[in-house]
Amino acid sequence: MIDDNFGEIAINNESDIIVVRKTVRVEATKLDFGLTDLTRIVTAASELARNVFLYAGSGVMKWRVLKANTMVGIELTFEDNGPGIADLEQVMREGYSTSHGLGLGLPGSKRLMDEMEINSHPGEGTTIIIKKWRRRY
Amino acid sequence: MLNNESISLIKIRDVLLVAMPPDPDDTTVNVLQEKVLCAMEQYQIKGLVLDISAVETMDSFFARVVAETAQMVVLMGGETVIAGMQPSVAITATQLGLTMGGAMTALNADLALEMISSTFQRGQ
Repeated sequence: MIDDNFGEIAINNESDIIVVRKTVRVEATKLDFGLTDLTRIVTAASELARNVFLYAGSGVMKWRVLKANTMVGIELTFEDNGPGIADLEQVMREGYSTSHGLGLGLPGSKRLMDEMEINSHPGEGTTIIIKKWRRRY
Repeated sequence: MLNNESISLIKIRDVLLVAMPPDPDDTTVNVLQEKVLCAMEQYQIKGLVLDISAVETMDSFFARVVAETAQMVVLMGGETVIAGMQPSVAITATQLGLTMGGAMTALNADLALEMISSTFQRGQ
C-alpha cells in the first residue's frame, strides 16, 4: 500500500508555505494527476500549511505516495504542536475563523480532496491528513 | 529568497495593468496591494486590470487580498477588473468557496481594458 516515495517539509516561516506548494506540485505531477486535481491538491496544501504557520507558528508537512489495487494517490499530513482545536465541529463550519480569515480553510480543503482526517487535542497540537486518489491507467 | 518573482505594473493611459507571477508568496501578494494603491494616487489611475492568467495557485489568502484591493480601489474612485483566471483555478476557487468580492472579471487582459474604457465613456 505504501510506496517508498515520501518526504517531509518543515514549516517555520511564511516562505515555507511556498516550499510546501512547490513540493506538492512536483510530487502530484509525478503521479500524473490532471491539471484540475493538481490545482485542488496544491491549493488545499497551501491552506493547511498556512494554518500550521498561523495558529501553531511551526510544524511539518509529510507527504507520501499511496498505491492500492486500481488507484494511486497522494497523502499529505500536516502536524503541529500548537494550541489545538477545541471544537472540531465549529471549525468545519463555513465562515468560522479565529484569525479574521475567510474561515474557508478547513471545510474548503475537505471539499477539494477525497479524504480528510483531523486529530486535535487542545494544548497538544493538531494533525490533519488529506488524500487524493486517481484511478490507474 | 525562494520567490523572487516580482509583480510588474504597467500604466497604459489611465489604466494600471498588473501581472501576477505564477506562484506568488504572501509577501508578494501584500506588496501588490501597497504598490497598486500608491500608483493609483500618484498617476491618477481610473482603473486597475489585474492579470492573473499566469497564476497557478489561488488560495483563500491570495483571494482575500485581491478582493480587498479591488474594494480599496473602488473607495479611491477607480474600478478593478480581474482578468484571465485559468479554468483549473476557477474550479478550485469555487469549490474552496472563494469569491472576488464585487470586482468585475474578464476572460483576458485585452477584454478587461475594453470593459474599463467603455465604463468611462458611459460615465462621461
